[in-house]
Amino acid sequence: MSARKKRLALLVWVTLALFAAACGGGSESNPGPGPGPTPPTAKFSNASFSGQYAFSMSGTELCAGAGSFFGRAGTFMADGHGNITDGLEDVNICTGVQTLQFTSGTYSIGSDGRGALNLTNSSGTTTYSIALSSATQGFIAQTDVDITASGSFQRQNTGAFTNAAIAGGYSFDFKGVDVAGTTVNPASIIGRFDADGGGGVANGLFDSNIAGTLSGQQAFATDSFCRIDANSDGITFGRGTARIAGQDFVFYVVDATRVKFVGTSFPSAFVGDAFAQQNIAFNTASVDGSFAFVIAGSGSSGSIGTAGRFTADGGGGITNVVIDENNNGSITQLPNGSVTGTYTVDNNGFGGGTLTWTDSNKGTFSFIFYLISSTEAVLQETDSQIISDGTFSAQTTSSISAAALAGDYVFGWSGVSTGQEDFVGQLTFTSSGSFSGLLDFNEFTSGKQFFDVPISGSLALNGDGTQANTFTVNLQTTPPDAFSFTVYVVDQDTLLLVGVDTNRVIAGMTIRQP
Amino acid sequence: MKRKIRMTIGSAALAGTILLLTAAGAQQRGAVVSSRPTAYDATREKVLQGTVVSYTEDSSRPPMGAHVTVQTASGTVDVHLGPASYLRSNHFSLAAGESVRLVGVSVQTKGGNVFLARMAQHGTQAIAVRSPNGFLLANSPARALLQSERAPNAQQRKPR
Repeated sequence: MSARKKRLALLVWVTLALFAAACGGGSESNPGPGPGPTPPTAKFSNASFSGQYAFSMSGTELCAGAGSFFGRAGTFMADGHGNITDGLEDVNICTGVQTLQFTSGTYSIGSDGRGALNLTNSSGTTTYSIALSSATQGFIAQTDVDITASGSFQRQNTGAFTNAAIAGGYSFDFKGVDVAGTTVNPASIIGRFDADGGGGVANGLFDSNIAGTLSGQQAFATDSFCRIDANSDGITFGRGTARIAGQDFVFYVVDATRVKFVGTSFPSAFVGDAFAQQNIAFNTASVDGSFAFVIAGSGSSGSIGTAGRFTADGGGGITNVVIDENNNGSITQLPNGSVTGTYTVDNNGFGGGTLTWTDSNKGTFSFIFYLISSTEAVLQETDSQIISDGTFSAQTTSSISAAALAGDYVFGWSGVSTGQEDFVGQLTFTSSGSFSGLLDFNEFTSGKQFFDVPISGSLALNGDGTQANTFTVNLQTTPPDAFSFTVYVVDQDTLLLVGVDTNRVIAGMTIRQP
Repeated sequence: MKRKIRMTIGSAALAGTILLLTAAGAQQRGAVVSSRPTAYDATREKVLQGTVVSYTEDSSRPPMGAHVTVQTASGTVDVHLGPASYLRSNHFSLAAGESVRLVGVSVQTKGGNVFLARMAQHGTQAIAVRSPNGFLLANSPARALLQSERAPNAQQRKPR
């Protein structure tokens, strides 16, 4: 994959992991017996997972008898032989913020890139399922009872653990909860800043959506910063602290192009990533071509996930809007009537902008974005009391065929049925669009952690493949279960998807393995 | 390499420039967008009173969660109460034949109109299921606890 695709590949996942979660039992399903898929050719082993990896994730923990949002970010060192030798993490949980050092851990990686990871710190051992898209990155889902979460990990460049390496423009997307008095509000903050290479920031701009209240574009406060820890945490782990967009954070550096954040302004909590911006002055012409997107979050009905595609004409016009929105089980698909749309890019060159379309039957959908490049952006919905965010990415200009999609993929999905659920797995598409694979998932409550579940199904492409495509996943659980998705293809390496079942909301992405 | 935009903006003028640019951006974002009919519009809140026809913890009708069907003077209304687990943990229950009073907003879904309840009350039981602007309170209630109320949770000592 190209450098851009590598960065895109796991861009979406962190920002999708939050839904309005509540404590509750999941659907009754257990892995059942049956023939699994034919194992793919061995591409991965414990040796594939070697080096220092930064991770971040968000999810739901059981606290005071109810589900509660939490986030974590950190780093661990894998020795290539199944052992975790060191690491550090910061967690924002229902009782406060803690910094914990990993004293040990183990992992095992299968030939398909799926694996198990255990991380031990002074509080005990937490368990995870992981899926490697390559030796340098993958999806991760926590699989403990009463704690489920999902996110991504990337191998760190230890040479970037300096303030000087973190320089230039960065766009960010933070999702979480903002606590005001006794009210816990779903919240999204997106924006951008310039890191000055010395721990300072300038030109900081953000838009927050807290329980449907839009901040409008705001400038960072003058006391904002983003600096690597001066002690060994910074040198060894790439850890730092930041005050940006009105919130305090701990961050872990992946490399100069990506930084992973967890909020520390307890009891509020945010998790997200910042991505180095393309070094240009953005304008309206910067958004030109077809784009696919996926966003997720909360609305007044509950959890919401939306995926779709649109075409920008480079001059402020939007056409060819197709979307699937799952609003806690109520599905809205566009176009329904006639759809018209427009977009703007701020005239300051920093890449902020607006995106709006109106369906004559279904109403207006509006968004704020901050461009990462002319092909990627972080995206936040701003209409109808919806707090939902994610990314959009330039679609391939070529048609997509099932044959072009044949191959091995890993996936990370997050969602809600009666409680939060997080999925990681691997599958192999044939040239006809059928697939088989294996899946781990956590439905939060006791007895609802499932491993090595065989899956099969099909991806039916619509037209040239760049529109809404039908993806059906059959789970060999007891009793059997099936998920229906709409897939929007970014390119032959990356698929964005949203579930269109009425009994669960799932969003996520599927990306090609080498 | 420095961003082109930064090279054109002197540091002395930066603060003022940012304010101007921010204001321009805010104007672009200023357009009022009418909420879609699926949204909770607090200005449309109303009180619903009637008799419980049925209560379902895991309704097949959207939105997902607990629904109560209420017979009112003007007809039968489908009411969404959010996650059943939240109702249970707050010891709130409903049964057919009971009188109920609800405060909320009627919204459109693909399956028809649904009344999104913010408050529910029957007899001496009352529960707030949504915030004043319509978001489910089932999301992370422990984060709103007072410091003293958090102490027992901190002592659970589960692995992090």
